[in-house]
Amino acid sequence: MIPNSRPSADDSAFMPPHSGCGTRGVMLFTPNSELKTGFRMLKIKNIDAFFGKIQVLRRVSLHVGAGEILALIGANGAGKTTLLNVISGLHPSQNGTRIFLDVEISGWKPEKIVARGLIQVPETDKVFNPLTILENLELGAYLRRQDRAQLLSEMERVFQVFPVLRERQNLPAGTLSGGERQMLALGKALMGQPQLLMLDEPSLGLAPTLVGEIFHIIRTLNSQGTTILLVEQNAREALRIAARAYVLDTGRIILTGTGEELLSNEEVKRAFLGKDYRGKWER
Amino acid sequence: MDIFNAAVETLNRQDLLELQNERLQIVVNQAYSHVAFYRKKFDESGVNPDGVKNLEDLRKIPFTTRKDLMENYPYGMFAVPLRDVVRLQFPLGIYGNPIVIGYTREDLKIWRELVARIMVGIGITEHDIIQVAFNYGLFLGAIRFNQSAELIGAAVVPSSIASAEVQIRIMQDFRSTVLTSTPSFALHIVETMKRKGIDPRTLSLKIGLFGAEPWPEKVRRVIEEDLGIKAYDIYGVMELIEPGVAGECSEKAGMHIFEDHFLPEIIDPVTGQVLDGGQEGELVLTTLTTNAYPLLRYRTSDVTALHYERCSCGRTMARMDRVLKRADQMISVRGINVFPEKIEEVLAGTPEIGPGYSLSVTEKMGMNDQLKVSIETSAAIQKGPEEKKAVLLEGIHLALRRALGLRVEVELVGKDRV
Repeated sequence: MIPNSRPSADDSAFMPPHSGCGTRGVMLFTPNSELKTGFRMLKIKNIDAFFGKIQVLRRVSLHVGAGEILALIGANGAGKTTLLNVISGLHPSQNGTRIFLDVEISGWKPEKIVARGLIQVPETDKVFNPLTILENLELGAYLRRQDRAQLLSEMERVFQVFPVLRERQNLPAGTLSGGERQMLALGKALMGQPQLLMLDEPSLGLAPTLVGEIFHIIRTLNSQGTTILLVEQNAREALRIAARAYVLDTGRIILTGTGEELLSNEEVKRAFLGKDYRGKWER
Repeated sequence: MDIFNAAVETLNRQDLLELQNERLQIVVNQAYSHVAFYRKKFDESGVNPDGVKNLEDLRKIPFTTRKDLMENYPYGMFAVPLRDVVRLQFPLGIYGNPIVIGYTREDLKIWRELVARIMVGIGITEHDIIQVAFNYGLFLGAIRFNQSAELIGAAVVPSSIASAEVQIRIMQDFRSTVLTSTPSFALHIVETMKRKGIDPRTLSLKIGLFGAEPWPEKVRRVIEEDLGIKAYDIYGVMELIEPGVAGECSEKAGMHIFEDHFLPEIIDPVTGQVLDGGQEGELVLTTLTTNAYPLLRYRTSDVTALHYERCSCGRTMARMDRVLKRADQMISVRGINVFPEKIEEVLAGTPEIGPGYSLSVTEKMGMNDQLKVSIETSAAIQKGPEEKKAVLLEGIHLALRRALGLRVEVELVGKDRV
């Protein structure tokens, strides 16, 4: 069993503020020290989902272990985003079960799911452009009903990870670049104190150096105790940091394995890593 | 004793069943989309692959038989392009079309781990010296002991088909701590040691890992007592992986099936009905992780029973009884599988004899030791010149030896004696 309690702000596991070294070495959020290895934080079974009459997910079953980075890879239109939306309660699912922290969450409203600690960073429209960065971050903690002091101390920690947000905290989010907006979206999600963070294409549209930075941040967050479900088209990067992964193809899961196994899987190489060749015996 | 992959081998049953369910759905997806044989089979029997939602839905899927594998020779059962395959293996002794089984790099990696799980489970460590006295040519699984031993860091002596005397010498000089072979050969080593007056206590041998043929408990007792070791059973299926499907742990309370990779069922071999735990019947296996050669509900013809109670070793994986019977006519002679159908094939190629024939075996401690083939012949040959008979016999003898990889006794008898 995972205890449901959220870490409190004065938790001694926080490290003292660090300055001037970007994300490296900064203890961001409390690792849940009571995580039992092997505990399955999220279990979904036999999820079907439709857009009108078109079935986009076919009896999808998977699990996310506590403390792991789980990658979900697949081509365009495979159903990855829909699956995240189903998990968050944003898209209806016809059948199947969703169990988060040992509780069935099917039929729950999205806000209730978020309040329980399952937070999704969507692929697009992830920040409120007209609002300032500060306001965006405050909204991230909206459901948590905590006192101002606690809010500020958590915001401080977000600023430590993303110093650029501190510099521009009073500017509208719309003025940020793509990479900065991604960082704000991550920061906003962290303000909700996620147990499980679902990231939808966090590297999309970012410059290669920023992609590296974002993946590094994801890894840091994970090493500090946040479980991560990562949806990516950038399969190579995702598999490199993932403990395990599933491959989704036209609504069905067709492969699973550790990140390392899938990186060397020939089918994955052909489909996602741009490696193809013909055998000598093939014409 | 240690557990090689404790996270998996002691996984609680509920999580294990969920893992199996996830993997079953994936293997069904793969088989249906990549293997024409399975697509046809599903479509013809009206089974919707998306309808496989729970482990119980497995029962909707038709069985796969050895005949299916033969008919789809060579590559019809492969779920990956040939370029992904890194090993092609064909079990010997199969009649009719051969069978060819492909393995990808990941498949071999899994296989290597499974045999290592068994080795670690019976107390083999990196400090052991493992003497592999299997015939590397006839028993394709022999090489697996090398690779798995290397995985856990133990030393391997592939002594292969060296004579019993040489094997004993190696045991003495190399101080081998583990012997792995067929139980028949282990008995042969026991006899040779007795004849030569060698005291087993002068050896370093501690553990024996035996398989590739059925061996009753009394054989185990003799081997354990006369060699002063603990003897364990290992199980495989030549059409999947052999050995490595299951193996005993230190408790000797049945062989743990690696349920994270194989989904076992027991069926009534006649009606095909699924039987409950504890009931004896034919073992049916579904591969859950195999990439190249997925098999759905493959009928192994091995007769056993499954036990799901937790083992006192701590593993949660189901245990199967040791296999002593078959649901088909295959017999095992000194670790070599013999199908009567294969013998028929050979005999059919010689016009002067048959078609009637009979097989008899000489047993040694409940295991088949010698196979004798009695073949009916016409009175003309029976009464004909001895030289002609001798030439005929010699020809059959050679042909059978070539086909079976085993020396058998052959006799020619009159029509009424078969």
